[in-house]
Amino acid sequence: MSAVGAAIQRRRSQLRSGLTGRILDVALGVVVLGFLLLLAVRVYEHGLSYFVQILAFAISNGAITALIAIGYTMVYGIIELINFAHGDVFTFGSFLSASLIPLFGLSEGMEWGPLTIVPVLGVFIVTMLVAAVLNVSIERIAYRPLRHAPRLAPLITAIGMSFFLEGALFLWKGPSNVHYPDVLPRVGFEVLGAFIGAKEMTVVLTAAVLVVALALFTDRSRLGKAMRATAQDRDAAQLMGIDINRTIAATFFIGAVLAGAGGTMFGLYFNTTVFDLGFSAGLVAFTAAVFGGIGNIYGAAVGGMILGMIRSLWDGYFDSAWTDVVIFAILIMVLVFRPTGLFGMRVPEK
Amino acid sequence: MQKRWLFSVLAISALLASACAGGGGGGAPAGGDKGEIIIASNFPTSGADRASGRGPEAGVAFAVQENPTIKGFKITHKAYDDAVNGVHDPQKGAQNFNDMVSNAKILGVVGPFNSNVARATIPVANKASLVMISPSNTNECLTQDFSYCDPKPAALRPTGKNNYFRIAAPDTVQGPAMADFALDTLKVKKIAIFSDNETFGKGVADNFEKRFKEKGGSVVVRQDFDMKTTNDFKPFLQRAKDGGAEAIYAGATSATKGCIPRAQSKGILDVPFLGPDGIGDTQCIKDAGDQATDKLYFTNAAAEAAQDPANKDKIEAFKKSFTAKEDSGAYTFPGYDCARILLDAIGRAIDKAGGNMPTREQVLQAVQDTSNLKLTTGTYSFDKNGDPTSATMAFYQFKGGDWAFVKQFAVGK
Repeated sequence: MSAVGAAIQRRRSQLRSGLTGRILDVALGVVVLGFLLLLAVRVYEHGLSYFVQILAFAISNGAITALIAIGYTMVYGIIELINFAHGDVFTFGSFLSASLIPLFGLSEGMEWGPLTIVPVLGVFIVTMLVAAVLNVSIERIAYRPLRHAPRLAPLITAIGMSFFLEGALFLWKGPSNVHYPDVLPRVGFEVLGAFIGAKEMTVVLTAAVLVVALALFTDRSRLGKAMRATAQDRDAAQLMGIDINRTIAATFFIGAVLAGAGGTMFGLYFNTTVFDLGFSAGLVAFTAAVFGGIGNIYGAAVGGMILGMIRSLWDGYFDSAWTDVVIFAILIMVLVFRPTGLFGMRVPEK
Repeated sequence: MQKRWLFSVLAISALLASACAGGGGGGAPAGGDKGEIIIASNFPTSGADRASGRGPEAGVAFAVQENPTIKGFKITHKAYDDAVNGVHDPQKGAQNFNDMVSNAKILGVVGPFNSNVARATIPVANKASLVMISPSNTNECLTQDFSYCDPKPAALRPTGKNNYFRIAAPDTVQGPAMADFALDTLKVKKIAIFSDNETFGKGVADNFEKRFKEKGGSVVVRQDFDMKTTNDFKPFLQRAKDGGAEAIYAGATSATKGCIPRAQSKGILDVPFLGPDGIGDTQCIKDAGDQATDKLYFTNAAAEAAQDPANKDKIEAFKKSFTAKEDSGAYTFPGYDCARILLDAIGRAIDKAGGNMPTREQVLQAVQDTSNLKLTTGTYSFDKNGDPTSATMAFYQFKGGDWAFVKQFAVGK
């Protein structure tokens, strides 16, 4: 346990002892219980099939948020940099795949044959690779030269990169919303009266496959081990013969693969994108990464899932003018009681 | 800079020449010897904005061509352009109005086209009691005082006396008009409403909801989204379906994701999708994707002259003199009507002045006193704020690849 961790622990035990602390606990408990009760009443009123349907939407929304959040958290975990450009790489993914769809012979409302899945996979793979190359170039140009500079310097270049990308995306497709062709077929199956369509299945399955692949990669592969070692102690890792530059570049590569896939999924699912999408989507995803414990890949996945789900569930049952208020209220409560996020930070201990 | 200035002077004089030629076409002004009265027009008529501004300008020119003299006075038309680099510009508008104010022969102005130009030019004209009539401004804050208005209408009128009139229905009328249309024409009883939570969008949605409930309809769900962070409209649509909504009202513009819920409604529910003039453009059609069907509707604040058979001859006469494509636009005849209101008022002001040249104050008062004047796009009187007491609301539907006119009716305030 680091000094900071110990201090936080001490502060927390102070907070939770004494009369005020107990009152705080009870009040919080009452609020949470009251909310759950209200939710239960609403869920009961609307019926089961409605709940399953909204849950399907919520899981899809959560899966997309989770994929972006993982990219933030991976970069933070390894070089302690908030990569503001990450949201814009995600937007780039949605723009690129929107342009690739007609090139791969896909179109809105098309008939699906047994082999139509091939060009869709093609769009995914090309987008993921190009986004990855873009992100690695960003790291090479704007972050690597500043690796030993004061902490604020790369933060500013990250913001600069974000604006640069947004400007480029603006020039590419203009200021208006861009319609993303709806190519997925209208097939699906019914569960308890709710319709689970190809869109929901595509999003959830793709996200699940990517997250499992990422988990296996970081746990089992040599490069994954190198990434974990670099995150723990960069200098020691270097002394052990790990190529730091290669390892960091690989982290950016993988983060952007997920962002590219996320952008494509976002387009296929929501059928829209816009040049400054990355700013708001990035902010939401970054919040999710902090919520889950920044630096922690599983934390980001779960945090993104939870925040995305709360958003859709709230819109389905309550007044959406309060959505952001509720999300940030939950975030504050979690951080007050678990300052390192749900799963705890995984940052180098110094 | 120098070049652009020269260009605009050339453009204006060219327009002037054409307008004068049109006026002269009506023959030698019989009895036009008592002096000259000029009607100015102020619209964006160069660059990309020419598509919107040239129509009403041609309408004014046509009205002057029809009425070359009034009670012994020669009438001429002076056209101003408020576009800079092809986009309407409030400062250029204010400059134009300063020029008009200093020309004693100008007794009235038709224009401007855009609400933000009106905001900049009303005070300039107000100080000189110069009357202005706009065919197209819809911003409610130009005439009415709401808590969110900045600047307040009173701040635009330093003399305290109103000099600004318009014949377009203010934005506050659109919501209730669509509510009537939904209930009476589409026979919708249950509706789902969303808004972009912005001044315009939430305003029209609130006005829609109020009227819809008053007339016995029920609202199944109402959501005000923060459009910056919201992309997922499916829970809202599912909730609309669950509540049995027979239509959806979008209190938004196509720039604030107004038509994206329409695209996402695919496979959830397919019911009429209604909105204000903010969704009446090509962006909405693009955003709706393959869900751009004949179930999309929007309201527009200007009437279509062609819908009244009594206007047939007038429209043909207009098309003989004004042959360019941009001469005939949605606001050509509203512009023509504004000029007619002004000419009618000038006639009465001349009488009031005992047959002599009337003052600007007299013309202003005469416009205010306009009473049930039947013209091509409606029958006009003004309230004390300068709004029409009865405006016409037109309804458009998406048909065969573009927005098409459905019907129009007069709406009270």
